[in-house]
Amino acid sequence: MKKLLLFTLLLTTKVIGQQTCSTSQLITAGTYTIDSIDGTEIPNPICASGGGGATNGKWYKYIPTNDYTVTVTTDFTVNGNVDNRVHIYNGNCGSLNCIAGDDDNGAGYLCLVSFQVVQGSEYFIAFDDKWDANGFIFELIETSAVVIDTTYVNFTPEFISTIAGSYKIAVSDMNGDYLDDIVSVTDNNVQIHYQSTTGTFNAVNYTTPTIPNMPSWSMAIADYNKDGYNDLLYGGGNGVSFLKSNGNGTGYSHSTTSNYVFSQRSNFIDLNNDGNLDAFVCHDVAPNVFYMNDGNGNLTFNQGGIGDHPNGGNYGSIWIDYNNDGLQDLFIAKCRGGQNTAKINELHRNNGDGTFTNVSVQANLSDSVQTWSSAWNDFDNDGDMDVVVGASSFSDGSHKVMKNNGDGTFTNITTGSGWDVFTGLSIEYVSYDFNNDGFADVFTNDYIMYNNGDFTFTPIQVPMGVAAVGDLNNDGFLDVQVGNNIYFSSGNSNNWIKLNLEGVQSNRNGIGARVEVYGSWGKQIRDVQAGIGFRHMGTLNTHIGIGSASSIDSIIVMWPSGQKDLICSPSINTNLLVVEGNGTLPVSDFSVNFNTINAGESVNISDLTSNCPTNWVYAISPSTGWQFINGTTVTSQNPQIQFNNSGTYTVSLSASNFNGQSLNSDSEIINVLSTIGINELADTKIAIYPNPTSEKLNINVSAKFQLKEIKLFSSFGSLIQVVEPTNIIDVSSLSTGIYFIEFNSINNELIRLKFVKD
Amino acid sequence: MSHNLSKKLLSVFLLVVLTFFACKKAIDDPNTNVDIQNQVNIDLALVPYSKLSDYKFFKGDLKNQDPNTDVIPYQPASSLFTDYAKKKRFIWLPNGTKGNYVADHELIELPVGAVLIKTFYYDSVQPSNNTRIIETRLMIKKTTGWIFAEYVWNEDQTEAYLQMDGSYAAISWLQNGVTKSTNYRIPSETECLICHKKNNQAVPIGIKPQNLNTDYPFSSGIQNQLQKWVALGKLDNNIPNSIVSTVDYNDESHSLRLRLRSYLDINCAHCHRENSHCDYRPLRLAFDETDESVNMGICVPPDEQINPSLVEIIVPGNINKSMMHFRLNSTEAGNRMPLLGRTIVHEEGVNLLRQFILSINNCD
Repeated sequence: MKKLLLFTLLLTTKVIGQQTCSTSQLITAGTYTIDSIDGTEIPNPICASGGGGATNGKWYKYIPTNDYTVTVTTDFTVNGNVDNRVHIYNGNCGSLNCIAGDDDNGAGYLCLVSFQVVQGSEYFIAFDDKWDANGFIFELIETSAVVIDTTYVNFTPEFISTIAGSYKIAVSDMNGDYLDDIVSVTDNNVQIHYQSTTGTFNAVNYTTPTIPNMPSWSMAIADYNKDGYNDLLYGGGNGVSFLKSNGNGTGYSHSTTSNYVFSQRSNFIDLNNDGNLDAFVCHDVAPNVFYMNDGNGNLTFNQGGIGDHPNGGNYGSIWIDYNNDGLQDLFIAKCRGGQNTAKINELHRNNGDGTFTNVSVQANLSDSVQTWSSAWNDFDNDGDMDVVVGASSFSDGSHKVMKNNGDGTFTNITTGSGWDVFTGLSIEYVSYDFNNDGFADVFTNDYIMYNNGDFTFTPIQVPMGVAAVGDLNNDGFLDVQVGNNIYFSSGNSNNWIKLNLEGVQSNRNGIGARVEVYGSWGKQIRDVQAGIGFRHMGTLNTHIGIGSASSIDSIIVMWPSGQKDLICSPSINTNLLVVEGNGTLPVSDFSVNFNTINAGESVNISDLTSNCPTNWVYAISPSTGWQFINGTTVTSQNPQIQFNNSGTYTVSLSASNFNGQSLNSDSEIINVLSTIGINELADTKIAIYPNPTSEKLNINVSAKFQLKEIKLFSSFGSLIQVVEPTNIIDVSSLSTGIYFIEFNSINNELIRLKFVKD
Repeated sequence: MSHNLSKKLLSVFLLVVLTFFACKKAIDDPNTNVDIQNQVNIDLALVPYSKLSDYKFFKGDLKNQDPNTDVIPYQPASSLFTDYAKKKRFIWLPNGTKGNYVADHELIELPVGAVLIKTFYYDSVQPSNNTRIIETRLMIKKTTGWIFAEYVWNEDQTEAYLQMDGSYAAISWLQNGVTKSTNYRIPSETECLICHKKNNQAVPIGIKPQNLNTDYPFSSGIQNQLQKWVALGKLDNNIPNSIVSTVDYNDESHSLRLRLRSYLDINCAHCHRENSHCDYRPLRLAFDETDESVNMGICVPPDEQINPSLVEIIVPGNINKSMMHFRLNSTEAGNRMPLLGRTIVHEEGVNLLRQFILSINNCD
């Protein structure tokens, strides 16, 4: 051991770490000694955990000669109890970007960090004295570049120095352009970093009155006064405060009731389904509270009726429609020490009349595991919402994966899911599809549990903990804002769509809407929510990944009002604005296999309507002389109609879908020729074959029929040719299609037959 | 006659002293108070009363908190930090009843009718530099168990009124010559129970032999509090000779570990012990539990990750990476500990923790 130590020391290269970024000297792979952290330039931004407060730094520059995976490590026994920290940058001195960073991944408090580098690019490696200024050795190791697994996504931080405020826990659009903005607040200021279409942020501060309750425990955002600009809820330890936009998003008025509320998770939800958002707040130590909206943006405090355990224990409320009845139900992740039933999780079924029924026991969700939030989504894409109940402590049980059976009950399928062996604990569990593969994942602490689609999850460590989730560069892949850092997702080749909802009769944000997305995968569903996980507020846009599928058949938005909007074949990899009531209408279109037939014959209709019709109504004029056959009806998509009487008929179609009737009506003319008195002759007196034919048509005429002449007609009834009596006709020169052949006898009997030229 | 006169003079003198030195510990000895007219008035069927004065716990001006007959002042060895508020504590037991020793670290079993009285006040309140009493909290033991009664003092300091919904009192005062301010939280009934409970049953916190095995300056002289209670007939004489006791965490004559354990017991253990609000976390901070370092969180990773650099609850020798230090040093409601009862940092408490962390270099 001693020998190895000596050997290491001998190999140490003496490149003096520099005082500043701009004076840093180039290093290559090897081991280096730092005598002490005494450089004047403090590394900024901070790429490792632990926050600011360093007073000195030590700087190195590195330019790889190849694409590599590089490891920077101080994890050497000789470094003993030194507590160091490292930041890895690219960019230019003065405006550096974090590539990676580490505090304590090595033994004790030593650093160990790996990252990908590109040949010829310039990187900076900077240590700081956040913890201590003692010297140490470090090594830079180059190994061949890892082929990045695009199954998952990578996150890289970008430091936004201008984000200010005591609470930087919210990402949400604030100005109605559906681009996620960054919201940070203090007790007298709301700061919004508006995301621009060019990917930059424009910071604006709005002074507010002094707000008595800060979002110490949670923040929720939605447009409860329905002015097109989102409003804020601060869930504090002693009460709840609201900030309401002033009608144009340039200022906020404040309201607080005096009621004592030990807030935990808060949400906006339309509890009485009147089209106006109400607010729900978990109470830590008493029955839950909610604030009813009078329709004018005035909120009235209520307590009791939705989770009334006298000792509370309410930590993570999340609104989902677990029984697919179109009403948003409430799950409460619960927690409480001691012998206390307040720890038992609750599921409250929305009865649709403003009342809720606790169905936890019958649903098999009355679990006493200590949880502060739980992640809901349809993890197996079978059309109902499942839940990962995430433990905050293992003292009363651990994580559970509960599959929705579709009948109001859930089955514990944790074993083998990956959650049974996942030892992480957290107060935060949120579900989004981070890699856009079409299967909703779960984010907890510094892990994304990637959903493999079969109720198994693969834990992948990420460089940040759960915070405010949104799309902060509008690329369709979800990013995470942690304080002043935005961890941008690398994305991958998967396709996606992002829904921007605008309620009209329903609440403005469409919160409580159920979204269904149909395509080659079958069906994906989402419930639109304001406030998931424990503390943060994330995007109100609905993100849906579709993996490698190249199209979406249709999307149905089922609004809380009952309105259903269908969007047919939307463009992918873009934002889709859905305004309540403005779903796409079908365009009616159909074809028939014959426009001219004999009485007694039938036509087959082929529907060609576009924009996802769901209903068809055919009309036939005149109203008699025909009938639907083979079990088809007037509302079949592809009916068959037999015409009994000769004449000219008009068949027309008006198709509809959720959004209403098509604006057009398509129609076809059907000519039905008279065959009264001759059909029976045809049966017995003349035969033609083969039919269809490509060259010759044989004619077999009974002796009873004294043939005078033969006429060929097109399907539209125009005369093509008159043929002298014969028993074979050459039809090879006819183009393919349907023809009629008419036989006249010297007794003026007429027989018309149909054949097909191949 | 002369005896009565001298007694009256003494009363006047005491009143004057108390008026001027309201911050001083109460020095009355109930043994010397035999004024029948001033008997404490407790009707368990009628409490809580609407006014603090209805109980007749005090004689003379209410604000002097001059304890009436059989109202015994007491003070635990270490006390809970509540934004530097000062406190006066009293206990009253019905005539002919007494408490029972259970164990050093268990609550003294008190009879039905027992009342615990705790008044919170500040001295040197700005701008007038006077004393302001904010609240008096009662716990009353009914046949069905303990109840809370919260009394908020009026501006004139002449009365305190029952108010169970919680409120605030903005206050600035001089603390060692430095102005400090807080929006003092007067708890609601619901908040009382967060700390004062065991398996969800309301319980007192401080009334344990381990906390009362200290001397107190009674008007009759300095005496061990437990022995005084026994002498007064208010505690059964079954207490052991030796009691494993907490100490005053300010007393530098004791070891850092003993001082910190005493501090953690009175400030944290009501939640961080078995059957309490937060027993699902690994900490066990009651004094009888912290003889094991692991229960104090030494070298124990936290369940909740606030910051990956906070690697253990207490990291030997490393303040910066110790979660307990971070939480005690935080004023942010979502991060600070204790959860309730403070909005500003208790610098002396944090300093004690800091000294302790720096004094240890291993997990034992």
